[in-house]
Amino acid sequence: MSALIAIDAVALAVALIIAGFLFSRRAVLLFRLVRAGKPAARFGDVPARAKAEAVVVVGQSKLLQRLLPGLMHAAIFWGFLVLFPTILIAMIGAVHPHATLPWLGAQGWYALLVDVFALLVLLGVITAFVIRKVQRPKRFVGSHIGEADLILAMIAGIVVTLLLWHSSQIALGLNDYPASWAPISSSIATLLSGPAVPYLERLAVWAHVLIILSFLVYLPYSKHLHIVVAAVNVYFGRTRARGRLEPIDFEQPEADVRFGSARVTDMTWKQTLDTMSCTECGRCQDVCPAYATGKALSPKLLIMAIRDQAMAEGPKALADSTYTPPPIVPNAVTDDIVWDCVTCGACVRECPVGIEHIDHIIDLRRNLVMVESRFPEEAGTMLRDVDKSSNPWGKPQADRTHWADGLGVRILQPGDAAPEVLFWVGCAPAFDERARQGAVSTAKLMLAAGVDFAILGPREACTGDPARRMGDEYTFQRLAGENVGTLNEAGIKKIVTTCPHCFNSIGNEYPDFGGHYEVVHHTEFLAELVRDGKLNPLAGDQKITYHDSCYLARHNDVRSQPRELVAAVGQAIEMPRNRERTFCCGAGGARMWMEEKQGRPINQERVREAAETGAETLAVACPFCTVMLDDGVRETGAKLKVIDLATLLAEAVEKRRAQST
Amino acid sequence: MSVLVLMEEGDASRQMLTLARKFGNPVHSVGINAIEPFAPDFLAALLSAVATEVNASAVFAAGIERGNDVMARLAARLGLPLASNCVAATPGDPAIVTRQRWGGSLLEEARLHSPRPLITVAPHTVPIEKGPDPVEFDIDAVKSKLDQTLLAVKVSEHVVPSHAGVSLAEAKVIVSGGRGVGSKEGFAIIEELAGLLGAAVGCSRAVTSAGWRPHTDQVGQTGTKVAPDVYIACGISGATQHMAGLKGAKRILAINSDPQAPMMQNADYTVVGDLKEIVPAISAEIRRARAGRI
Amino acid sequence: MRVLATIKRVPITGGRIVLTEDSRAIDTRHLGFTMSPHEECGVEEAVRIIEANKGDSVVLTLGPPEAVEQLRDAMALGIDRAIHLQTDGSEWDGEATAAAITDAIRADEAAAGPFDIIFFGNESADSGGFQVGIRVAYALGRPCVTGLKKVTLEGAGVRCEQEVEGGRDVYEVPLPAVLTVKEGLNLPRYPSVPGKMRARSKPVAVSTLPRPAPRLELMRLAVPAGQGRRAESLGSGAPAAPAVVDLLQKAGVL
Repeated sequence: MSALIAIDAVALAVALIIAGFLFSRRAVLLFRLVRAGKPAARFGDVPARAKAEAVVVVGQSKLLQRLLPGLMHAAIFWGFLVLFPTILIAMIGAVHPHATLPWLGAQGWYALLVDVFALLVLLGVITAFVIRKVQRPKRFVGSHIGEADLILAMIAGIVVTLLLWHSSQIALGLNDYPASWAPISSSIATLLSGPAVPYLERLAVWAHVLIILSFLVYLPYSKHLHIVVAAVNVYFGRTRARGRLEPIDFEQPEADVRFGSARVTDMTWKQTLDTMSCTECGRCQDVCPAYATGKALSPKLLIMAIRDQAMAEGPKALADSTYTPPPIVPNAVTDDIVWDCVTCGACVRECPVGIEHIDHIIDLRRNLVMVESRFPEEAGTMLRDVDKSSNPWGKPQADRTHWADGLGVRILQPGDAAPEVLFWVGCAPAFDERARQGAVSTAKLMLAAGVDFAILGPREACTGDPARRMGDEYTFQRLAGENVGTLNEAGIKKIVTTCPHCFNSIGNEYPDFGGHYEVVHHTEFLAELVRDGKLNPLAGDQKITYHDSCYLARHNDVRSQPRELVAAVGQAIEMPRNRERTFCCGAGGARMWMEEKQGRPINQERVREAAETGAETLAVACPFCTVMLDDGVRETGAKLKVIDLATLLAEAVEKRRAQST
Repeated sequence: MSVLVLMEEGDASRQMLTLARKFGNPVHSVGINAIEPFAPDFLAALLSAVATEVNASAVFAAGIERGNDVMARLAARLGLPLASNCVAATPGDPAIVTRQRWGGSLLEEARLHSPRPLITVAPHTVPIEKGPDPVEFDIDAVKSKLDQTLLAVKVSEHVVPSHAGVSLAEAKVIVSGGRGVGSKEGFAIIEELAGLLGAAVGCSRAVTSAGWRPHTDQVGQTGTKVAPDVYIACGISGATQHMAGLKGAKRILAINSDPQAPMMQNADYTVVGDLKEIVPAISAEIRRARAGRI
Repeated sequence: MRVLATIKRVPITGGRIVLTEDSRAIDTRHLGFTMSPHEECGVEEAVRIIEANKGDSVVLTLGPPEAVEQLRDAMALGIDRAIHLQTDGSEWDGEATAAAITDAIRADEAAAGPFDIIFFGNESADSGGFQVGIRVAYALGRPCVTGLKKVTLEGAGVRCEQEVEGGRDVYEVPLPAVLTVKEGLNLPRYPSVPGKMRARSKPVAVSTLPRPAPRLELMRLAVPAGQGRRAESLGSGAPAAPAVVDLLQKAGVL
């Protein structure tokens, strides 16, 4: 008997050493790859990080947004947590059939938990197979199905061998815990009788241990690595404003400046970690407006491609410090893919493992634009105009006040006392006559409500958002510095703007450049005026569907105030993709200035969705959304009127006034 | 007091005569083709010698490429100031000229302090008037006395472009697209309309900077200056540098979604709206009209 | 190989030109500035020639202190160093400009050797005098060809293509030469940010020059009255098409 135990012990030791060695060798390489990444400031703000861990990882919050797959995964994940000690118990049991973990091995409640969760895991795996093989969601297009099947099979193998082992233990009377506390194993045990059972018991426990050890070795070579990396990746996710991009420090000597990413060796450690976390689940692909309309970009395939190149090239660079990997674009990722992105953030929001796809895209763009000068030609005109004329339309700054002609809006002159509120108009309303109505209505409403406000007029330069989203960080920083200088000199404390991009840039990004202001979107400001009774709309019965702008609803969580305005003027009907799940109009990521060359237009896709609600009015809160959706309505012939919320409010206020006279 | 003019083929030189005649009578002329092949330094020296021979009070030329080139060389040679692209000139001490800046979007009134004013006249700005015809000066005697090394800079070859199609500078009708066209592919509707009208396709500087069309299609101050009977501007905002190329256009039709665009305010006829709808509609209407006539 | 490109700082006027109170200048208070378009192509050509042939490139401007912005832009494209003939911003006529530039060129060539090619824009976007390049060429005693759309180095000389009606005239001149170029010569590259950063520390030799009395003396500027175009509306959208066709028929082009 003891000889058998000794052999088993040696066998286990050998298996552990081999598995341990293979696992560690690969794990160390992956760790070194991450550590070799460029710096990223992700260590502060620990309470926020801990909260993210609790909610997203332990609580599985992002996964549970899709109920069935969420429950399936939660079952497997929580099962994994609960069943973790059974690995030790099994290894002990593999050596000595009568031995187990002290105390825990004898607890009935634990045996119950094990039984229940083993069954749940098995149900989870079956559900996963049903989803993948019967339902076949499109988000798996492009993922490695074979790898996923193998992993699921191994998980099933682990719990099946566990249950078999427990059942045969109970059948042989080897259990330390009371068998009545393990109803499932006990039931199976009743089916086990005869001389084969002891062999079944040994077979089951060894199979269990060996599957686990092979899984351990397989882990760092497969996407199942996420069970280690994902929790870490979520911890290091951004805790500052989602819409804020990390600035580049140009004041360093040129050789030390990181101009985004040309090669995998330029990536930050967080980006490398991102690529290792990907489980190829495809949730990001499912919500990407570019992918949905037939473009080359899929956020999932993007991360997988960068991951593959990082795994292929990264070790070579670690081994030889003079090795230069080939550039990511176009070798792993084509130019089209980089420019298809509208930076709407739907992918980042969906991702259960905390991958930040936008950061990858922006860093690729930064290098392409700032170092290679390689980008769609029409965008070059926009960049030049933003740089030399301070607006993307290349029109004279002096024309910035034309939209306000005759309205009685105060233009702040240098040296004037600061108004209570600075109305930051933005380039679109100033220079594009179709993007103007929101600004005009907002100005009229603010005047009617007696708000003390002024505009900067010709001294307002483009916030630089289009340049930054294109990757021209240099031009963006120059403009940010200029605008912060103008605003600070004028003593501005509070800013209202109709443009969500200006709202995001000034509010979330300008603090990095010395600009600290209270920035409010016009829907928030107008909603407050209505609440305070300074504006009195008369609600009508027009059916209104409100399009959430990405930079408002998703990047900045402004969702309820626009809806207050909708409720104050008409009947709200929601589109299926609403609030933080909104579907982009197609103008973000500087795509307003680029042509869509492939697939169907994004704006038309959204207009179709709006038309299907049966509403007559498509309410918007962004000058770019206004133009894009208006174009979409004209192109599709939809029976919709695209109107800014401020204009709807102004009309409703006018109706009330007309009614009372 | 006589005046000397450099004459070229076409209306620009005849328009120039209107101003030249104010500076003297008789009007002596030297033809741009006096030297074959064209050698601008030699021609400038020739003009200088003839000006001395006839004691010209002033020398004039049309403000077109060769005229400006030769007159600048004459000015350099004589060490005298040159007023180019003038729309008005009055003799005196000093002479007063009004000249074009920014391709004609701005006018400059200036005093020309010179014993022998050298002036080129902007085309399409001064009307042709009746008056004494210029008398061609017999240059043979003068030619042989000049430094023959000045013939070194000369035209050695004339290259004709391989691409077919109507030349922008000579086209009677031009359909032109600007930023509003949106993309290289967007020009298909512009080309379609141009094809139906037998017109040349033009574009604004924004379009060539974006790489949608070659620079040879660009109309404007730094592109081609055109003089069509009809210029159809689609989605062009009308920056001064573009307008500078349209001084010679007889009728301008502007199509733009922005009624306040400078192009719309400086056109003869306008249509407000989306060019992507309007231009194909015009093409369709032309086809309908033609089918109706058959 | 040594190449010089000369540039001028001009405002980006957009659709309308607005004058100062005294009508002697354009109101540039809220305008951006750029290099004159023809000259951008001259700078790009200079950079390409030095990239292909090894040597050094210089950019020169006569203009106010702010013109250093355009010099840095040129150096961001790849020009090695700059010469800034600094004025107080007042108007210099073509003659005076050419004389000052000639002196500066002579000084630089005395120190570092002759420029094989000197590029000028055919005419500046604003004053459009069409003469500075030619005057400098005459003063230096070098051949000059104007209005070029294509420049090809051939041995000890250069083949130049000038756009004329119906095609291009070809001139062949030996180096050193002075060439005035037009937009369309090439498509200027988009400057890289490392290029812009490096340009911040490239050398700019500054000298301040007093303005000589101009012989073409600006008295005042005026925005010309429109050519009397009445902007008659033919309608809006696709429904205006018949009115347009009507117009085309009346104009005799259909």
